[in-house]
Amino acid sequence: MQDLLLYCTNGLLLGVIYALSALGVSLIVGIMNVINFSHGELYVLAGYFSALFARALGLPVLAGAGLAVAVVFLFGLLVERTLIRNTYGNDMASLIITFVLSIVLQNAYLLIFGPYPQKPPNWVDGSTRLFGLFYYGNQRLAALGAGAVVIAVLFLVVKKTWFGKTVRAVAQDREMAAMVGVNPDGVNMLSFALGCALAAAAGVILAPIFPVTPTVSVGVSLTAFIVVVLGGMGSLGGCVIGGLILGLVQNLGSAYVSSGYKHFFGFFILLLVLTVRPTGLFGRKQL
Amino acid sequence: MPRRRTQTLQLLMALGLALFPFFAGDYWLHTGIICLFYIMMASSWNLLAGYTGQVSFAHAAFAGVGAYVSGLAAIHFHLPPLLGALLGMAVAAFLGLLLGVLCIRMGGIYLSLTTLAFSEMLRIIIDNEYEFTRGTMGLSVPFILPVYSKTTAYFLMGAVTVAVLCVIRSIVRSDLGTAFRAVQNDETAAASLGIHVVKVRLAAFVISSTMAGLAGALYGHYHQLITPEILSLNLMFFVLAIAVIGGMGTFVGPIVGAIFLEFLSEYIRIYGQFHVLLFGLIALAVCRFAPQGLMGLWQRRMRALSS
Repeated sequence: MQDLLLYCTNGLLLGVIYALSALGVSLIVGIMNVINFSHGELYVLAGYFSALFARALGLPVLAGAGLAVAVVFLFGLLVERTLIRNTYGNDMASLIITFVLSIVLQNAYLLIFGPYPQKPPNWVDGSTRLFGLFYYGNQRLAALGAGAVVIAVLFLVVKKTWFGKTVRAVAQDREMAAMVGVNPDGVNMLSFALGCALAAAAGVILAPIFPVTPTVSVGVSLTAFIVVVLGGMGSLGGCVIGGLILGLVQNLGSAYVSSGYKHFFGFFILLLVLTVRPTGLFGRKQL
Repeated sequence: MPRRRTQTLQLLMALGLALFPFFAGDYWLHTGIICLFYIMMASSWNLLAGYTGQVSFAHAAFAGVGAYVSGLAAIHFHLPPLLGALLGMAVAAFLGLLLGVLCIRMGGIYLSLTTLAFSEMLRIIIDNEYEFTRGTMGLSVPFILPVYSKTTAYFLMGAVTVAVLCVIRSIVRSDLGTAFRAVQNDETAAASLGIHVVKVRLAAFVISSTMAGLAGALYGHYHQLITPEILSLNLMFFVLAIAVIGGMGTFVGPIVGAIFLEFLSEYIRIYGQFHVLLFGLIALAVCRFAPQGLMGLWQRRMRALSS
């Protein structure tokens, strides 16, 4: 019972972060119909930056984390403007270009940061007794809270603000939105960068718990893609549910079946979704 | 180019390839064999991605399937490597069919995501079942021929490569090849003309995966060591970069790209593993500024000269 609760708490934590990271992919897919294969690399980049800002520049940890997300946001703007913009309408070109970008970034990290795991300092120390059953690291609880807050803010932005309305308009019908005065290129650029910033947010939140190396990015990207397919392409709510499901399944699966196969459960879910309900849990009926 | 000149050029190239082992030392012979492997991989990937517009990230994984099936069969059942290669090819074809049926009707993005997941899944299985596959230690397998000889291996690889290229060329020029391009250009229009879009895509996917399985099996037996590295995303990246840099959707592009990248990588080997970074940057620049690759640049130049 005690173990089960522990695994579920771990699953919940990872699930929230998976959801956060997948929301970034889903946002970009929904609006631009582009799959960003370098998603995981941006997660790792933010992890490195937050470690760098906190350790080398001596900034407070949270300020360093915020700055890291901001830097990745700017990087996202740059990538959209220089690499993605002239591939609009050609899904294959953007797939290839972001895949190549991911390999370039992985190898650049290896060159700059080396193969060793790096982590920013913990935000908080100590641990708390949960349910009167086990001690759980405060850092993990902080990560859970931070992830939930960022997701809540994102939903508020998309559902309630003027920017969110514009974004949804472009996602629904690009030409119509342009006709009523929305600049689709600007929206694309901002939402691509926002998607990157969400990967970065996931990165800075998890980096103190799971240090980053140049190659963890592949797992991060794949997890995000699986969550997006599970939740339904372009559905933000689906991402949250999908993320939680994947987090729980992975943790329970690796605890009770085999830990070497942790990532395997995600692929199993992916294959299951594709055979049974290809549109995902909350996907649009038409693809 | 006039037909006569093309034929002369082809003849000269064939002669050059046939005489290559007699001039090249052991080292360059090895480079040549690796280059042939990349030509097979990139050309078959190009058949899928360049002609039907579906980006598969499982091409290296299918090469891995071919290599491991053939290698394990050789070790456990003492199957001769050449028969093993055929078996590996068949298993790759079967897995390609299963995976294709699962994700092809969903269209482009789903194929890319599923193949990426499939490739990682396979890598995890091979890493974890080390008692059977020897994991990251690698599987020692017998040489491709009964007697060890690089020159013979070169001719064998060369013959298979030429055969694979001939098959690709005849497919591209057949009705099926026309259907491939029709599906890539406009799915709806192709369907309205009576082309079964899903079947055409599936055919391309299975054919391309089968060729990757064959190439992987030969490569594994040539190296005599099969490691999970063969189904890594790095190898996948090389294949993709070769096709992109050479020029996707052209027959010659992947061949030019493979020769260019393989020989370039020999010269920049002194920079260690960072030659991947350099390749990546080249590929990125090509994607951005010359989406048609080297072949596109060449064709543009020829057109400018002739006008």
